[in-house]
Amino acid sequence: MRTIVLPPFWSLVEAHGDELLVHARRLAGDAHGEDVVQEALLRALRAYPRLRHADHLRAWLYRITTTTAMDHHRRRAREVLTDDPPAAAAEPDHYDDAFEELIAGLPDTAQAALRLRFVDDLDYAGVAHALGISPEAARQRVSTAIRALRAQGVAA
Amino acid sequence: MTLSQSLLDRLASAAVAEGLADAVYTRLPTPIGTLTVVQGPRGVVRVGFEREPVDALLAEVAAGLGPRIVASDRELAATRAALEAYFEGTDETLELPVDFSLVRSAFRRDALEELRHVGAGQVVTYGELARRIDHPRAARAIGTACATNPVPIVVPCHRVLPGSGGVGNYGGGPEIKRRLLAHEGALPA
Repeated sequence: MRTIVLPPFWSLVEAHGDELLVHARRLAGDAHGEDVVQEALLRALRAYPRLRHADHLRAWLYRITTTTAMDHHRRRAREVLTDDPPAAAAEPDHYDDAFEELIAGLPDTAQAALRLRFVDDLDYAGVAHALGISPEAARQRVSTAIRALRAQGVAA
Repeated sequence: MTLSQSLLDRLASAAVAEGLADAVYTRLPTPIGTLTVVQGPRGVVRVGFEREPVDALLAEVAAGLGPRIVASDRELAATRAALEAYFEGTDETLELPVDFSLVRSAFRRDALEELRHVGAGQVVTYGELARRIDHPRAARAIGTACATNPVPIVVPCHRVLPGSGGVGNYGGGPEIKRRLLAHEGALPA
């Protein structure tokens, strides 16, 4: 069995925590960024000993943060339906709301690819790392998503 | 935009509460410099002097206990309080649970366990400590056990002196050894 050496978890938190917070706030809104990062890092800690290699740990953390933010969106969407729609809908987020609205009709995997490519401005290698897929698959996923948006008449 | 201390505290406490932390560490300013104190589920596993790089020290702990290491002053409040009481001189017993996971041999572990019985204000020679664990000719090996002690101060290797006089060597440097002994009123003339 191969022995892998993972760095102490807190050194990852210190090295990447700040940028993960930026990422989480872009995806989930300023008011929810901290909650998302905390939950994402806790998820990461749960999974950490099961990692099979110590490569791309930053991208791995981005991926978990992205997934956590998406779950957060879903939870909030449910809350909007059940609790207090006007207050939640009127919450003053920022310009990303327009982007989110634009991509809301797409499958989650397509939304995640678009956020990573255009909100986080990652190149295809970065999108690929973040989603755990090959760069070619990342490129394809983004272009398929853009085609879908065009078909909806929302993208040029 | 940076992670707030309160978020980091909440994260570390949630990790500990859920049993996810292999070890927790804290940095504690003391009269002999800032110590790094690392605690596993069974007790204090590593104490580092200021001159030891924290990264290397945590990597050493990760190799022994696992990589899920978090930082929290709050989770180690009791340990910090015991060390603060020691340095303030209000309570020098340092009766903290110790985890000898990072000690590489049974002999060294026996030596360090025995050393815990040497209280503040007392000193012992390498040879005497060797006799106490029934290895009377192993004074040099005792020296190695002390030199590689992963939990200095809590396991008081500063109280072990050469039979030939002087304070001898110390992981934190002889000057810190002298200061600890002076603090305990046990500095040899």
